Amino acid sequence: MEKILNQEKLREWVDMLDDCEVYAPAFADSVWNYARIEAGTDIDLSHTNTIGSVKEFVFPQREVFFRFEKKDGVPVLTSTLPDPKPTVVFGVRPCDGRGMPRNDTVFNKEFEDPYYWARRNKLTLVGLACNQPHSPNCFCQSVGGSPHSEDGLDILMTDLGDRFHVKGITVKGVEAMERGRDAFDAVRDGDQTEVEKVHDTSRSFPQRPLDNLDAIPKAIRESFDSPLWADMAQHCIGCGICTFLCPTCHCFDINDEVISPTTGEGERVRTWDNCQFPDFTMHTSGHNPRADLGSRLRQRVSHKFLYFVENHNTQQCTGCGRCITECPVGIDIVAVLERVSQ
Amino acid sequence: MSNPSKTTEVQSFEPRIVAFLCKWCSSAGSDLAGVSRIQYSANATPITIPCSGSVSPMYILSAFNKGADGVLISGCHPGDCHYMEGNYLARRKLYLVKELLQFIGLESERFRMSWVSAAEGAKFAEVVDEFVEDLRVLGPQNRLKAKP
Amino acid sequence: MVNVEEIRDYAASLLEKEEVKAVLGFRRGSASAFAEPCTITEVGEAASLVWDPTCLNNLALYLVKDRKQQAVAKTPDNRPVGIVAKGCDSRAVGVLLQENFFKREDVVVIGVSCEGTGVVDSNKLSDKLKGKTASRITFSGADDINVSVYGDETETVIPAQEILADRCLECRAATPTLHDVVFGDTVEARDFNEPFHAAKEAESASEDERWATWEHHFDRCLRCFACRAVCPMCYCHECVVDSTTFVVTLGTSAEEKANRIRWCERSANTSESAVYHLTRAIHLAGRCIDCGECERVCPVNIPLRLLNTKLEKEAFEMFEYQAGHDIEQASLLSSFRDEDPNSFIR
Repeated sequence: MEKILNQEKLREWVDMLDDCEVYAPAFADSVWNYARIEAGTDIDLSHTNTIGSVKEFVFPQREVFFRFEKKDGVPVLTSTLPDPKPTVVFGVRPCDGRGMPRNDTVFNKEFEDPYYWARRNKLTLVGLACNQPHSPNCFCQSVGGSPHSEDGLDILMTDLGDRFHVKGITVKGVEAMERGRDAFDAVRDGDQTEVEKVHDTSRSFPQRPLDNLDAIPKAIRESFDSPLWADMAQHCIGCGICTFLCPTCHCFDINDEVISPTTGEGERVRTWDNCQFPDFTMHTSGHNPRADLGSRLRQRVSHKFLYFVENHNTQQCTGCGRCITECPVGIDIVAVLERVSQ
Repeated sequence: MSNPSKTTEVQSFEPRIVAFLCKWCSSAGSDLAGVSRIQYSANATPITIPCSGSVSPMYILSAFNKGADGVLISGCHPGDCHYMEGNYLARRKLYLVKELLQFIGLESERFRMSWVSAAEGAKFAEVVDEFVEDLRVLGPQNRLKAKP
Repeated sequence: MVNVEEIRDYAASLLEKEEVKAVLGFRRGSASAFAEPCTITEVGEAASLVWDPTCLNNLALYLVKDRKQQAVAKTPDNRPVGIVAKGCDSRAVGVLLQENFFKREDVVVIGVSCEGTGVVDSNKLSDKLKGKTASRITFSGADDINVSVYGDETETVIPAQEILADRCLECRAATPTLHDVVFGDTVEARDFNEPFHAAKEAESASEDERWATWEHHFDRCLRCFACRAVCPMCYCHECVVDSTTFVVTLGTSAEEKANRIRWCERSANTSESAVYHLTRAIHLAGRCIDCGECERVCPVNIPLRLLNTKLEKEAFEMFEYQAGHDIEQASLLSSFRDEDPNSFIR
């Protein structure tokens, strides 16, 4: 389904999704991030990329698996499987959209994660094509994506200046469009050509190149013991920015959080974890197989460009550039791959 | 809250105080209040510590995190420290803790410090009673408390 | 005006004379318009050093990292390290010396005066550009900073005072006091903002407003621990909020492991993040030299510096203590005076 939506009709469409939780990017605290759209709040789609990625909607930083308590000395478990309202997210950049099928694979491969899918099945992603890269660190095209990729999105919007071209990609997406039918106009002659022109232009901007993407896994494998890693991680501070902001990083930790030791009340909780933290691989014995920052950088890069490729035939990186832009010390995954490939 | 009667709620609210008491003075002071049969509020859970100087700010934060409505730290009067200077170090450190808690907007009445010697059972009872009264007005502490 | 050639020459000569094993400095990177840290070990690399208001990092962090690495190295290399340091960075070296983290002869401080400016605040810049990326940032030498915006390549001229970091506007010692050599004009106080201006402003809000602000911020914290990781004073081998703090031996039972004290859960919710940030703030009391790194690196822009400067303000006003100003003095929390405030105690 393809339609035209005037810029001022966007609000009208959103208002017709009144039984859904609607999110869109908002600029607050000096940064773009997704924020809940309430009736009457403005929607501003002039955003660059959001600081947090859409993975947060399906893989929240904290997920309660179940509650436990002791009743008459017997442990009692209560399910906390989420049952969220249908959620629609506007302004998703295509790189983040492409992250979603990669996460789907992880949370579905050997075991279907009910917490993930409870949220995922209720989520509609409304993408917005990038008419030009937002940052010199964008490299979606270098990892097989594009600024107007439909991969993982339910709807793709393209900004044509005074109006949006809106394309329903999945059943969920078409349904969301049908909900706002009066807000849309039919596609007229020439609109299609204009969309193609915008898309062509968006692809023509230079991006950071990754030469010979197919050769990267081999190069990483061969440089496993290379001193390069320690050198490239020389200034790494070992924080979690790169992985927490990544649209595809999905490692987690599971803990029991005891609320009351006397009643044995508590929750089993899944929280994000991070291969850059020292305790990520810490053994009970105290031995840490990845004790230094070089080996942790190697792990992050290998997971994305070697192991994931071997297991799922695609990179676990969509070129959003967050890990480069937000790194406090300028560690640049594109530069890292270039050096490893040499 | 959809509680119809706010007054009842305030009256029935029993503040929970975590009181870190130096074993050389305030802890003995609280014992004296007990053996002297002084009637005072039973809202404070005493935790005996070796010296007020040994209080880590984490104890205080942790108590608030676990739902304490107020935290009291009580040590020896200036000049009386068993370890010569522990209470002076505590005074400086806890002044900063107090300022920090106020800065982030925790109600300033919720954190308190007192000097109570082993001979001051009556003063200990007064300090606790006063604290309880002030906390009753404030109601439950929800700002730093971990939400289930 | 600081002549970067002088810094390069000095760094090169240190390496040439083998007075240091490495020089910590700044170079242009591929990731952004801001400079990135570098460690140079060859004379030839000195030419890559840069110096301008995009040199944000506090490189003292890497002195700490080096000491930690050498401590576990089979053949430790304990030769001195050179460091390019702004006023605030040199105070960090000062605190580390005061705490005997290393000795004065282990470090060669190449001081650089911030003179009339300071460094660019990436959050203020982001506000100006509404999240867009700057592709080039240059300083005219006068009062303006020229910013090229990525995408349209227009150059925007922004008055320096509008995008300089708060700490630079409030700085009381823009020239490194602790140094082996110093480049640039000696400047003490400047007429931007009074010291502790931002903290005082935050204090003036009502109690409920203050809590609303901090609840908002603690709630947004991702617990990526970048603030801790970037801080040269956060050098504890294990942090109390990490689960590894629990010492496990062969004899440790499963029950002991399960019942270990956890001061703060891993969940990134308001209460747990509050414990983390407040603990960190207190641990830095009298040690924070206001380099603003914690605030700069925060991906969600929590104004963390305020917590620290609030305590430094108290230290200064109540205890006449300034972190990193005197390496011989006893630290703030290991000393006291009879006249310390007592009236808040019942």
